[in-house]
Amino acid sequence: METLHLLSQGMIHIIADGYLTMLVIGLIVGMAVSVMPGLGIVMGIVLALPFTYSMAVEPSIIMLTAIYMSGTYAGCFTAILYRIPGEPNDIPMLWDGYNMSRNGQTAEALGWALISAFIGGIVSTAFMVGLAIPLGKLALQFSTADYFAAVFLGLTSVVSLAGASIVNAFIGLFIGLLISTVGVDSIYGSERFTFDSPILVNGIPYITVLVGMYGFGEVLTRIGRKPINFSKVGEPIRTNTAFPSLKQIWDIRETLLRSTVLGTLLGIVPGAGATVTSFIAYGIEKQYSKRRDLLGSGLPEGIVAPQIGSTASVAGHMVPLLTLGIPGSGATAIILAAFLLHGVQPGPLLLSTAQSKLTVYTIFASMFMAVVGMCLLSFLWIRVVVRVLSIPPAVLAAVVIMFSLLGTYANRNSISDMMLIVVFGALGYAFEKFKFPISPLVLGVVLGPLAESSFMQTMISHDNDFTAFFNGPIRGTFMALSLAALLFPVVRNSLSRRKSSMSQTVSD
Amino acid sequence: MSYYAKLLIAAVGVAQLVAACPADAADVYPNRPVEFIVPWGAGGGSDQTARELSKLLQAELKVSFPVVNVPGGTGNAGMVKMLSGPSDGYSISLLAWDTFALLASRPPKWKMSDFITLGIVIQLPSGFYVSQDSDYKSWADVEKAAKANPDGLKVAISGFGSPDDLTIHQLAKQGIVLKAVPYAEPGERYSSLLGHHVDLLYSPIGNIGSFVSGQQMRPILFFSDEPIKGFEDVPTAKQSGHDISLPQRRAVIVKADTPPAQVKVLSDAIAAVVAKPEYAEFLKQELASPASYVPTEAAASLMESDLAAMKNMAAGK
Repeated sequence: METLHLLSQGMIHIIADGYLTMLVIGLIVGMAVSVMPGLGIVMGIVLALPFTYSMAVEPSIIMLTAIYMSGTYAGCFTAILYRIPGEPNDIPMLWDGYNMSRNGQTAEALGWALISAFIGGIVSTAFMVGLAIPLGKLALQFSTADYFAAVFLGLTSVVSLAGASIVNAFIGLFIGLLISTVGVDSIYGSERFTFDSPILVNGIPYITVLVGMYGFGEVLTRIGRKPINFSKVGEPIRTNTAFPSLKQIWDIRETLLRSTVLGTLLGIVPGAGATVTSFIAYGIEKQYSKRRDLLGSGLPEGIVAPQIGSTASVAGHMVPLLTLGIPGSGATAIILAAFLLHGVQPGPLLLSTAQSKLTVYTIFASMFMAVVGMCLLSFLWIRVVVRVLSIPPAVLAAVVIMFSLLGTYANRNSISDMMLIVVFGALGYAFEKFKFPISPLVLGVVLGPLAESSFMQTMISHDNDFTAFFNGPIRGTFMALSLAALLFPVVRNSLSRRKSSMSQTVSD
Repeated sequence: MSYYAKLLIAAVGVAQLVAACPADAADVYPNRPVEFIVPWGAGGGSDQTARELSKLLQAELKVSFPVVNVPGGTGNAGMVKMLSGPSDGYSISLLAWDTFALLASRPPKWKMSDFITLGIVIQLPSGFYVSQDSDYKSWADVEKAAKANPDGLKVAISGFGSPDDLTIHQLAKQGIVLKAVPYAEPGERYSSLLGHHVDLLYSPIGNIGSFVSGQQMRPILFFSDEPIKGFEDVPTAKQSGHDISLPQRRAVIVKADTPPAQVKVLSDAIAAVVAKPEYAEFLKQELASPASYVPTEAAASLMESDLAAMKNMAAGK
């Protein structure tokens, strides 16, 4: 009850003091950076940070949180429309999202994404705000072993990304993991696979691989497929967003429930972030959904699960930040910095006085408003994004390449990263040409460093005892799910083989 | 008017335009933005220090000092970026002691003579922390437990080869063997202590202030020569019989072959801004020592002695 009272007070505060403008600006910035390949959510928040110096603390945080929130959503537009993920967490959108779009159901795909972002955002925020204190404490229960188990589950989702050949998927995954080890290792500081090259010594950031292989590579693939020209080719899309009916939503209620719970809970794991959550949500769907065999061909479940997971993780990360002062992701680390720059320390102290408590609940209230605002804005936004389809492909290709290079440069201010983009673009083209799946490789590059550091920390902490990864409720559950994911195809194959051999014996 | 007359007028016009430009604009340093490299991600302690200085330096020298984050390899990536650029004085960098310690533990590709220190701008005492509800109430408890069970107590540090690691290593030489677990991300480091996944946390005080005032963590030992103001009841390492003091320091540096006149402009500007009340307020907020600033020459000798101490501590690793 007190929570509701504080929330409504916060909401009044936002409207009365004109913070709504900051909220809307934040949402627009978040949407803009997340549709540009290479320019990530974290980069968007970093770029906006200097503008908050002269503002008060509440509007600053409201704006940055809004960027974070809409950043986990808007990247799906480019994934669904052009097969270019705006953010790493949009990669799972490439399978069902893009395929739905190719099947002529673009409007439906966008509608499902919008509904998912809305449900994921509202439910998880409500859940986290209601249980802020106990859930914040739960975040502390996650040890490095639990974290490794969660990332491992993310890695096993490669089975669901396999497509035609599970062997190729694993080859891709391992190449990705190998790429992620290039550079100075984070634990002992030894140089690995650097060949004394100044480019390789600082490592290959996953954003470079992602943008290179998907953004740059996609352009190369399109140029390779047919001569690219300046005339209009995109077919005009009439309906911009088509909402699913209530019955359709009810039909996938299990997916909604699974993904929302998963997104919120994984959100509070420090370090997990929208990407891990999105992949795991998709992987779980591939394992346990009723229509799992058709997943990947363009089903709404394949859009709903990762999108809910991504958006739900925002609340999962904001709550530990506000209640404990612990940033669980890159984006929340910078929001923490914004707090500190204004002389405010997030943490239990923030909830101890009436005045600062109102600040916290104003931010909570702004998160609800951000979800609603984001969905309203996306109506207008989709119109703009869809119009991009009618831009001549040659111009669009140039624009994509420009943003790929710019965004990657902005990430670390490094020219050599721009060279790497071209290398990975060529690799992405080659993969596409020889029908080798790209996503397992990208998955390996994204999750590799997280898996490695949490694995090493656990090993150091437990004297190289392997059982440390299994002997707890959280890690045990994740590990059991991972093993199920890995063994499931083997068991299914052998079962179907036995069936077919049995029928053969009968016919013989 | 003849063609030549027009040409003459045009020529005079151009000459006037050229003359109108302030003649000194090209000579006066700095006349364009100076890049301020932070070899760590946005939001950390180094980043906050640089952003505060950037704001004040801009007011002082009337050009902007855009902060550029170049994270990676314990600050190595940022160092390499600055050292491989031109030495025209338009690129300065923040050097944290985590990066400086690399010279003692694993020699990087650069050396101390590659850069000039414009001044040490912040010094934070480091210490050991326990969670508020920990069974270890004091440093004496920890010492007793560590002696009874060597390598049994876990301490969260920022990484191997860092000043944190060197301190743990030095303690081991003195009979207190702790197990160091590296957490590169500050957030993970703090939650590992609050979630009881480690027994102790080693950290500079700056980032810990909120956890201490929020009664989530307690300092039990400071590695400083004098007791810390506000924490007078917490013993210093010296009082506990350990002659170890490796505070977290951060300096602003520039490439070694930068023209001396420009080095002087920059170091004078830093001396001027750190004397401002805003900066004193920033140091206070970070719980840094109020007399953090060390000018160029004194900084160089302090760094020599720190490096010698760290090499000594790293010996036998």
